[in-house]
This record gives sequence, structure tokens and C-alpha cells, in this order.
Amino acid sequence: MFKELDPILHSQLRLAVMSLLISVKEADFTFIREKTNATAGNLSVQVQKLKEAGYIEVVKKFKDNYPLTTCKITKQGIIAFEQYVKNLQSYLGN
Amino acid sequence: MSEQESLSIIHEMIQRVKSDYHESGTSALLWGSVVGIAGIVSFLERHFGFSIGFDIWLIVLLAIIPQVIIAIREGKKKKFKSYTDIATDAVWITFGITIFGLIFYGNIVPGATEHIISGEGWGLVKHFSSGNQPDEKISPFIPSLGSVFLLIYAFPTLVTGITEKCRPMVIGAVICYILFVISCFTVSEYDMLFAGIAGIAAWLIPGFILRKNYLKARRAHV
Repeated sequence: MFKELDPILHSQLRLAVMSLLISVKEADFTFIREKTNATAGNLSVQVQKLKEAGYIEVVKKFKDNYPLTTCKITKQGIIAFEQYVKNLQSYLGN
Repeated sequence: MSEQESLSIIHEMIQRVKSDYHESGTSALLWGSVVGIAGIVSFLERHFGFSIGFDIWLIVLLAIIPQVIIAIREGKKKKFKSYTDIATDAVWITFGITIFGLIFYGNIVPGATEHIISGEGWGLVKHFSSGNQPDEKISPFIPSLGSVFLLIYAFPTLVTGITEKCRPMVIGAVICYILFVISCFTVSEYDMLFAGIAGIAAWLIPGFILRKNYLKARRAHV
């Protein structure tokens, strides 16, 4: 039986962000923007959604007098991502 | 979005992070040059019986200053922190502490041993088996401590080489292990030469290769 794919993750940009963050400890907002080719506005909205779901942590600080936003995947995010990949495999395996 | 598309996004993003990861090689160049120079100069001093007027190994201590500056500057430039970075940093910090522990051991133990044994009322004597020369009183010493240094040099180099898939570092580490075995059978003077060769093989040459790859990748990203 097919399991429903997590709607928070089953979105192109949010999945791209989570896939980036799963492979690093933490990443700057600008790095995520560069790698996903997303606009700052759209990325901010999707990052906020992932944060509200508890999948990522967002830390805002200052570096050399410039604002710096760092994103980091949470334990809950890792579990959700792993489950998403498992469910995906069940779709593709059948 | 289809399941196949989801899978390709995951794959592509992980690949993009991987392709962005390039070690600058600056630290490897620094430590490779410092240990290479110190080892070879101290070997030449002992082999040809001259002195440059100060302990060349002090440059290793001085190299900590540029290393701290490099670490801060590279940390500021990095847009992401990988798990490999954290593991590699931990290994090199442990290596640094171990090296200083060994230097401390090498400087303290002979003197401390002399103090202990003289307190017990005995001492070490060099006895010439030919019988032509009288016995000489000597101070305790640690035989072939340089061999242990070579063994320690190989450890973080091999770990970094394997985790970062850096073949020149793996080769460098293997050279350190070979030099370690050879150094067990040679006089201590050669330990210095081996240390210099180890520094060049394990860090300086891989450092040049890493730097070249880093600059190439940076040009490709511009």
C-alpha cells in the first residue's frame, strides 16, 4: 500500500532546501539561494514554512555588520526527510 | 511533481553541495613547509655539525599564529559547514594536542627520570664493550622519539585523505608509515630528515595539489 507523501516536503523548492540541509551541518541563506536558483522572496517563504513545520532551525545573526541567516535541519526534519525518501522508494519500487 | 522528479531533486541537490566542497590547501601548505624546512635544516645541522643559532623547530610554534588567522578567515568565507569539516577539524585539533603532549613528554621525561633514579641512588652509565674507553655517566633519554612523531603524523593525514577522498594525502600517510618503520632501525639524526620528508610528502605536496584544484574550482564558479 502506498503511503502519502509529506505535503510539506512534496514541493520542489522545499524539497531542494531539505536535500541541501540533510548533507551539511548548517548553511547560509545565500548558499541555499545560489544552489536552488530561487528568488530571495520565494525562498524566504518556503524556509518559513519548513521552520513552522519544525523541520529546520533558522538563526539570524550579524557577521561583519551584515545580517546573516543560517539554516540547519532539525532531528524532526531528518526523520521526516528519511520517511519521505522511504515512501518515495515504495512508489518507485512498485 | 512526480516521484521521479522528487528523487532527481534530492540527488541533484546533494551533488551540488559535493561539487561546492573544495579544501583550499592553505593549512597543508603552511604545515608542510614548516615541518619540511625544520626537519631538513635540523638534519643538516646534525649531519654537518653546524648551528644556525636557534632551534629551527621554533618555527613550528610560530606557525600557530598564521594557522589561527587562516582558520578564522576560511571560517568567515565558508557558506556552509559540512559534517566532514567538523570531523576533520576534530582530528587535527586532537593531533595538535597530541604533538604538544609528545613534545612535553620528550622534554620532561628524561629530566624527571634522572631526578627519580638519582633519588633512588643509581644512574645510567655508557659502557664500551671494547673495554678501550672508561665508562661514561649519561642522562636518561627516549630512544627514537622521532619515530613516534612520524607515526602520529600519519594518523590525521590518513583520516583526512580517506574522508575527503584526497589520494595524495593517503599516499603521504603511507610514506609516513614507511619512514616510521625505517626510522626504527636508524640513528636519531635521520629521524629529523625523515620528519622533513614526511612533512613534504604528507602535507606540502598534497597542499599544492589541493590548492591547484581549489583555484581551478573557484575559477569555474566565477
